[in-house]
Amino acid sequence: MPWGTIIAFLLPALTFYVALTAYPAFRTLWNSFHKVLPRRTEFVGLLNYEQLVRDEIFWRAVRNTITWACASPLIEVSIALLLAVALYARVPGARFFRIAWFTPVLMSYVVVGILWMWIYNYDWGPVNVALRAIGLGFLAKPWLGDPATALPSLIFVTSWMWVGFNMVVLLAALHSLPRDVIEAAELDNCGWGAKLVFIILPLIRATILNLIVLSFIGKMKIFDLVWITTKGNPLWATETVSTYVYKRAFEWTTFDLGYPSTIAAVWFVIVLTTVLLLTWAFRQRDRLEY
Amino acid sequence: MVRRSLVLLALSLYTAFAAGPFVWVAMLSLRTTTEIHRNHFAFPDPAHWEKFPEAWFNSNYGIYFANSLQIVLGAVAVLTIVGAMAAHCLARYPFRLNRAIYFILFSTIIFPPQITIISLFQILVGYNLYNSKLGLTLVYVAIQLPLTIYILESFFARIPQDLFDAARMDGYSDWEIFWRVALPIAFPAVATTIILNFILLWNEFLFAVVLITEETNRTLPLGIQRFIGDTQEDVGMIATGLMIAIIPVIIVYGFFSERLIQGMTAGAVK
Repeated sequence: MPWGTIIAFLLPALTFYVALTAYPAFRTLWNSFHKVLPRRTEFVGLLNYEQLVRDEIFWRAVRNTITWACASPLIEVSIALLLAVALYARVPGARFFRIAWFTPVLMSYVVVGILWMWIYNYDWGPVNVALRAIGLGFLAKPWLGDPATALPSLIFVTSWMWVGFNMVVLLAALHSLPRDVIEAAELDNCGWGAKLVFIILPLIRATILNLIVLSFIGKMKIFDLVWITTKGNPLWATETVSTYVYKRAFEWTTFDLGYPSTIAAVWFVIVLTTVLLLTWAFRQRDRLEY
Repeated sequence: MVRRSLVLLALSLYTAFAAGPFVWVAMLSLRTTTEIHRNHFAFPDPAHWEKFPEAWFNSNYGIYFANSLQIVLGAVAVLTIVGAMAAHCLARYPFRLNRAIYFILFSTIIFPPQITIISLFQILVGYNLYNSKLGLTLVYVAIQLPLTIYILESFFARIPQDLFDAARMDGYSDWEIFWRVALPIAFPAVATTIILNFILLWNEFLFAVVLITEETNRTLPLGIQRFIGDTQEDVGMIATGLMIAIIPVIIVYGFFSERLIQGMTAGAVK
């Protein structure tokens, strides 16, 4: 093996990886056992972890984030599937639709967040304007200001953003299916619903499961959208783990980087375990079916 | 026939729902706030194009734009070279630990950013790179590297070995094989990663908000956030600022829509 060449090719990438990913990750773990003040660091053992267990805001943030991460994949993938199947039936203008639907996902959460703050605006946002116009004015409310509707409203925004992406991926999967299988089903006088459930779904299962995992991971990390729109308000109704870590590290005047590092470390383990469990569970079921 | 029209109607409605907000913000960006408060949904008549130079020069959007461009292009250039070198190496040389290194790099894709961000803040402060464009550029390279290597590796691996053997017979060195054989052949994949990284970093917010505080170093997303903080009520001007951030993305998308879709979906389809 030409070790010199291999090292030369890999060294730049590994340097970036070690210096700006691996080392910071370990340093965060180290931080989590310390009190890290601007001028002094002090070993505190498991104190941060004990505090974390009793931190109600943290658990609230965990609940919110997990709700988000579980609801989003289901909403996004199911709507996307319906749209993709509709498009698959050779509708005119498919290319145009494809490009148009993909657009929201290309915009930054900052742009999307501001845009939807306006859409949800109490006085002149299109949602309330439309409700009042059709005589349902009593339903109009400050969508992001009400603790009961704030989180669902934000989940709706991410769905708006990501359905198009999921749809395009599913469409690609549908187009790569062997046509004769589907044609055979048509010959057997199989209706659309039956064709979807018994033929198409099993064939593109792998893609669907991948999309679910992908969407799940994305929502476990969510920060930008919340930070721009609600900053976790009202009453922690939209607090996510990411926003809480940011607040504890850079907004609260505790100046301690140790405690937020503990949150980050615990969350890291939770995300990693759930993602591994998900992939493992999906694999298992695959094996059983064959 | 009836069913077909119904499907088409549903698709059009969904398209209006997906694209409508952008049409709306485009209209708002050409109207003054006074006009907007009279009617939030009217067409820009007359269109106030002068709002764009106003935002550009008077509200620092020119600076934000230049910063974003500098940081993102710098990061993308480094990412492409460093990522392609690593991907080529992992795809071409079956050395021990090859798959281990690949797996370690790849698994970072699922890391929540919090695990590195606090320490990155400390590290950059330590090296005087906090609040600097260079610091953010380096961090951007690090966060996009796994995805870049992942996309490129799968493409490099599909280039037939014969081609490399032939090049070696012709006396090409390892570096020349990479630079003059592998890279040109992999151009479509390289282009995909360039465009994808450009868009993702152009929109990046979390690392920017932690690592940059100074006005003169702000990227566009940060600038917009600051601007809404200062001028909550000036809807017209905020919309103009949003359009300044959206337009480059739309232009890139207009030229490379297929390639971009390919890149975004690369990870999702096996």
